[in-house]
Amino acid sequence: MEFLMEIMTEEMPPVHVKGALAQLEERLTEGLIANELVDRNDSYGKISVFGTCRRLIVHGIFVEKQQDKQATIIGPPKSVAFSDDGSAKPAATGFAKSQGVKVDDLEIVKTEKGDYVGINKIEEGKPTQVILEQILPTIIGTLSFPKMMRWSDSSFRFSRPIKSILCLCDRKPLRYSVNDISPTNHTTGHKIYSPKKLKVETFAEYKVLLKQNRVVIDPEERRIQILRQAERKLVRLEAKLHPDDQLLAKLTYDVEHPYVFMGSFPQEYLKLPLEVLSTAMREGQRLFSVLKGKKQLPYFLGVADAYKDPKFLIRKGNERVLKARLEDAKFFWEQDVKSSLKEKSKRLDQIVFQERLGSYQDKTDRLKKTVEYLADKLELHREKNAATGAAELCKVDLMTDMVREFPSLQGKMGGLYAKDEGYSIPIWKAIYEHYQPVSLDDSPPSSLTGSILSIADKLDTIVGTTGVGVEVTGSKDPFGIRRNAQGICKIILEKKLSFSFPRLLDKIINTMKDRLVKEKGDVKSYVLDFFNGRLQHIFESQGYRYDLVKASLAPGIDNIYHSYLRLKALDSLKDSPQFEPMIIIAKRVNNILRDQSKHKVNEELLLEKQERELHTTFSIIRDNILPLIAIGDFSKAQRMIFRMRSSINDFFDHVLVMADDKKLRRNRLALLQEISQLLGRIADYSLVVIEG
Amino acid sequence: MKPALLEILSCAGKKTIPTNNERVDRARMSLQNLIMSLQRFWADQGCYLAQPYDVEVGAGTMTPDTFFRVLDDRDWKVAYVQPSRRPTDGRFGENPHRVQKHFQYQVIIKPAPSEIQKLYIDSLTSLGIDLQEHDIRFDEDDWESPTIGAWGVGWQVLLDGLEITQFTYFQQAGGIDLSPVPVEITYGLERLEMFLEEKDDIFSLDWSDDVTYQDLRAREEREFSEYNFNQADVRLLQSSFQKNHREAQRLVAKGLLLPAYDMCLKCSHFFNLLDSRGAISVTERVKMISQIRVVVNHIAQKYTSQEVST
Repeated sequence: MEFLMEIMTEEMPPVHVKGALAQLEERLTEGLIANELVDRNDSYGKISVFGTCRRLIVHGIFVEKQQDKQATIIGPPKSVAFSDDGSAKPAATGFAKSQGVKVDDLEIVKTEKGDYVGINKIEEGKPTQVILEQILPTIIGTLSFPKMMRWSDSSFRFSRPIKSILCLCDRKPLRYSVNDISPTNHTTGHKIYSPKKLKVETFAEYKVLLKQNRVVIDPEERRIQILRQAERKLVRLEAKLHPDDQLLAKLTYDVEHPYVFMGSFPQEYLKLPLEVLSTAMREGQRLFSVLKGKKQLPYFLGVADAYKDPKFLIRKGNERVLKARLEDAKFFWEQDVKSSLKEKSKRLDQIVFQERLGSYQDKTDRLKKTVEYLADKLELHREKNAATGAAELCKVDLMTDMVREFPSLQGKMGGLYAKDEGYSIPIWKAIYEHYQPVSLDDSPPSSLTGSILSIADKLDTIVGTTGVGVEVTGSKDPFGIRRNAQGICKIILEKKLSFSFPRLLDKIINTMKDRLVKEKGDVKSYVLDFFNGRLQHIFESQGYRYDLVKASLAPGIDNIYHSYLRLKALDSLKDSPQFEPMIIIAKRVNNILRDQSKHKVNEELLLEKQERELHTTFSIIRDNILPLIAIGDFSKAQRMIFRMRSSINDFFDHVLVMADDKKLRRNRLALLQEISQLLGRIADYSLVVIEG
Repeated sequence: MKPALLEILSCAGKKTIPTNNERVDRARMSLQNLIMSLQRFWADQGCYLAQPYDVEVGAGTMTPDTFFRVLDDRDWKVAYVQPSRRPTDGRFGENPHRVQKHFQYQVIIKPAPSEIQKLYIDSLTSLGIDLQEHDIRFDEDDWESPTIGAWGVGWQVLLDGLEITQFTYFQQAGGIDLSPVPVEITYGLERLEMFLEEKDDIFSLDWSDDVTYQDLRAREEREFSEYNFNQADVRLLQSSFQKNHREAQRLVAKGLLLPAYDMCLKCSHFFNLLDSRGAISVTERVKMISQIRVVVNHIAQKYTSQEVST
């Protein structure tokens, strides 16, 4: 049976369309399965979804109806229903009547509780159409969108007003109603070119009919059309689109019929930086910039909801608007370079970062100290001056006209203005990159100066806002703390930056002086916990086993990069034959030590051969491992740990730890405690899960 | 130069020949003709044509013909031109696109007719725009005015990339959920006229056959930009804000809601002037906006409860 549904609305945002299509597919599938609309192979059929900003489309091939079911309906016990002579008592006639059968049709059913009267009935399966009519109003009515609206006097909410619903089962419209709208068997074409009613019977016909009426229903087809048309426009220039997946995704849904047009702008605006040009084009008009190699050309590509532009009206209109925007941008650039960043920086104290955390001047002062500290710890002696220089100027662009107009250019503009003023590469790059990574897929700063400035800035925000009581909840994260923390981890891991994280926190907390409302210790442990959680999330999303992640994060975050190296080492050894036995031993050691108070090893009390041997092996290994831990070579350290295995085994086989003699017992526990402590600096092995 | 490039560049410079229809329309095009066309169109849809409100506002939404009338559940259809002041947008009359005062054409219809998008498109067609030759887009753009506790869902309408209209289904005003939902259509008259006249300088627009935008507005832009940015007396504005705020509170208590609302509009304008003087810090901004909003919400609540009791 063929199912076709199209919900037509006024223009929905692309995110809403994608979300709704996913929900429709999922809930309809669930509904089919819950209602046993499946064939003998338990397959419900096939669902595909399509959409534009004005249409949510579902197509399905489903079974005709539920399968018939053999059902036994049990009535009263045999003894109650029939006399011994087999004649029917009132209970039997009553039951037969209630089931609409004759007494003769009643059968005896054997159950665990004895013989009962019953009947065997074939329950006919309901037609799919009937079930769809039952479940669709709820499925449509409970679609959820990031932001919903009302549009009449009813309380019904949706992304945008629903105009009509087309809903067919084998060519016939279904009967139901959603917010007083009942399905029909017609749709309409493109809003401008073909707003007339179109009668539809099958999906194949629907697709063709809409295409004839300037609507391409398949997003993927539209996306490819955009790219192909763009390619054709650009081939003569030997140029390509400035890649922008987000813009492409938006445009793919924003139009029902993509038409790519090319336009140009006066050469003089090419003096503006590429970043400014592409932002001016993207924001507002949704235009792509055009590159030849890395060079910006004075052209742009736009995607219209049209199929032609014979008089170049669309193109010329866009050219006029773009020229105005570029003229504005040029004006802003000229205004901004009238005074130097240094001069502008004098007004940093006039803009508030956060009420309690002070102005951007206060933030800048803190950043300088933090950056200096980080440069020292990372032994970046050459970069230190550049990094603090960049810290001093990195927030100044918040006061430029350009950033006020295009907030997404913050940081970048500061960098570009610094470059224009002749600052060195490490300085302007650091300013330029210090918001990076701005999202999960954005790359961290390319420069070291930018990396440490970015860490300092983000951590200043995290520590500060946490310390004044801004909470992060599931949906609330006004300062982007989660994203910032993720960004810091990304920089540290990709740049392999090795330093003590808790000490950096101490440093930053100190730069806050008395601004924090919460106790310093609380702030520190909250931030450490928060990062622990973030790291766990990052590592698991990279595909590491969750127990290994837990085990390697258990020693606490001292050095974030080392946490990662510990995990990598653990992960690389997980398949070695020594791995499991070692884990088992570590668990055994931990079990014995549970709830024991701490003791010290007294070498003279090591009586047995095996405990002397273990102590010697351990001492040698410890002396070798500690330097390895310090430089972060955890693979080697772990392999060394494995070498202790036979000594520990011998020890457990021949030495009674829980000896009656208190002194001996304490001494043996002490030895194990030292071993456990050493192990714990690499991972908490007891958290590793062993299968079987 | 490569032949391919030449071809592209020559296209950019080529003037297209307008069709007969368009030539006629173009000749008639002026801001006042645009206004008259819209008045005719929306009057035909049953709208009452209001006159501009006489207190400074930042947008047509803020005038009583919109603010109060959307609160109750009675049908309401109104259209009007509203001069709107945004002091920070002033550019001394030197920028071809930015002015500290512009003209909006405001339409409010309650309840929102189900064919309102089509009506709006018809209104553009009635101006002589052949949409089959252009690219019209309804681009997600939800609207919010924290000062009057109002928000709505809708679009900015882009015509060949130019934003000509804000199209909004009001969800809340004065902090109150609106039912039935009104639709608001706000045309930017200068933008639309620039599109119609194919001009890229606001001051070159024709207001009538003989008068240009330059003639009417240049001096006003120059003098008001100087006032807004450099001369407005910050202390006077601050104390005016506070006095009007107190007056608004006093009037609400007396149940004089329309005068109280006027005081709020004045506060809002003083606030905008202080902003263009650069005299408001981030925290003050939040505080002042909420000061106005609290009174406005109070007015809205009283207004709706009076509505119920009358």
